[in-house]
Amino acid sequence: MSDKRLGMLIDLSVCIGCNACTVACRQENETPLTKFNTWVESWDAGIDGRVTRANLPKLCNHCANPACVKVCPTGASYQAEDGTVQVDPERCIGCKYCMAACPYQVRYQLESGEVDKCTFCHHRTTEGLLPACVSTCVTTSRMFGDLNDPDSDISKKLAAAGDKAKGLMEDRGMEPRVYYIGLDETLGAEQLSAVHKGGNVLRRREEGNA
Amino acid sequence: MIWDALIACYLFLAGMGAGAFALGAIAGWGKDPALTMKKVGFIVGPVAVAVGTLLLVVDAHAGLQNPLRFFYLITNLNSVMAWGVIILSVFLVVAVIDLALLLVKKETPKWLDGIGVALALCVAAYTGVLLGDAGAAFPLWNMAVLPVLFVVSAASTGIAVVALATHLLAPAEVGRVALLKRAGLVLPLVEGALVIVLLAVTAGAPGSAAAAGQASVAALVSGPYAVAFWLGFVVVGLALPFALELVRARKGAAAPERSVGADVAHDGSGKTLALVGDAGVLVGGFMLRYLVVMAALPVAFM
Ligand code: SF4
Ligand code: SF4
Repeated sequence: MSDKRLGMLIDLSVCIGCNACTVACRQENETPLTKFNTWVESWDAGIDGRVTRANLPKLCNHCANPACVKVCPTGASYQAEDGTVQVDPERCIGCKYCMAACPYQVRYQLESGEVDKCTFCHHRTTEGLLPACVSTCVTTSRMFGDLNDPDSDISKKLAAAGDKAKGLMEDRGMEPRVYYIGLDETLGAEQLSAVHKGGNVLRRREEGNA
Repeated sequence: MIWDALIACYLFLAGMGAGAFALGAIAGWGKDPALTMKKVGFIVGPVAVAVGTLLLVVDAHAGLQNPLRFFYLITNLNSVMAWGVIILSVFLVVAVIDLALLLVKKETPKWLDGIGVALALCVAAYTGVLLGDAGAAFPLWNMAVLPVLFVVSAASTGIAVVALATHLLAPAEVGRVALLKRAGLVLPLVEGALVIVLLAVTAGAPGSAAAAGQASVAALVSGPYAVAFWLGFVVVGLALPFALELVRARKGAAAPERSVGADVAHDGSGKTLALVGDAGVLVGGFMLRYLVVMAALPVAFM
């Protein structure tokens, strides 16, 4: 087994839904129009008679037991040494089986046919940098690091949070390695509005320009 | 939508081809072999499966533009699709050899037929397992029900396409395969029951799959796919062929001089009924694949 296991911890109590991460990711990874490696879902939520804004950043969970890797017939989708899930475009035939199998539906197909998604900024982390979304986050809601290293900041914060830190839809069995603090509160609150998905703005403008 | 009508066509053709081949083999085994039927099954089988496989290749855009990448297809044997590629290839090889023997030597070794039938069963089941292995994301793609349902539908559609052609080419042969009479009545019932089970387990999917499961079932029975489901699948695909088969069975019983096993000289209306019923089964078989692919909603659909 790899001795490194990179993961992310997102503290929802401080996320303000500004989508700076969404933008930084687009600039860093040059994702195609209408496709996102990370985005923020926001909606009005009712908690104890108050209305507040719920913000839920999403991205590939770099699962420890990823369905996308299991189903990929060509081995194009694979788990790297650092525990992250990557796609080798040189092997991908574009069968889209991985897109179908991912419960989080974070994968998309490029114009050229290959499938792509968040890499946890593999090209940056291998150079000792943080993922673009993490380093840009204005409230330091996003934290990143090695989950197998008990002395890393993320491990310490996870340990302190105890069972308050949860992954999305853990019952799907993927063992997601993006954790959230405050997930139960956010998802448990009464939903009072439609969900705004960071990026819709861009799509509307694009359609308007067409 | 990740997969669409093209993949539905592939699932349908693979199932129908597998069923047709199996029926062809069985039709040739009896004391009084139905040779036209065997030939039809042996031709339709590999051709349908090959065309279906071609659709799969066409849908894989990145591979289509870099064909050498298809050699990677069996690198990950944890992948159901990799096994599918192996199963489809071996089936095609066996079926084509069997067909060649039939055309050249006029007969085929029973053991080769048997291997072909076993592989046909694998092909039909695999189309269900393929979707089933993405079941964690799409509650409608239930691993326990879909493979069985697709095998039953493969049998129905395989029988329908072979019977349809045989009715036109050699009507006298149809009555010879005793299995067909019962299949026309039993398979629609089994298929209908399996669909009810599928909808029930999908609607009752637990935890984070609950919302998507219920929404998928609603999309089928009362939502955007309701017309296709009720009219295309239930009425045309199941009820109509079943009713026509029932009428034909009654007619057969009312005319006892047409004893079982003897060549039934079909009257005009009986033949029309049979043709309509077979066509209905084929429409229903396609609708089933189409609806299962299209109406499925992912657990992350908020
Ligand atoms: S979130 Fe989806 S794409 Fe990412 S590792 Fe998990 S299963 Fe794979
Ligand atoms: S689309 Fe590419 S990465 Fe996804 S399963 Fe197919 S070959 Fe693998």
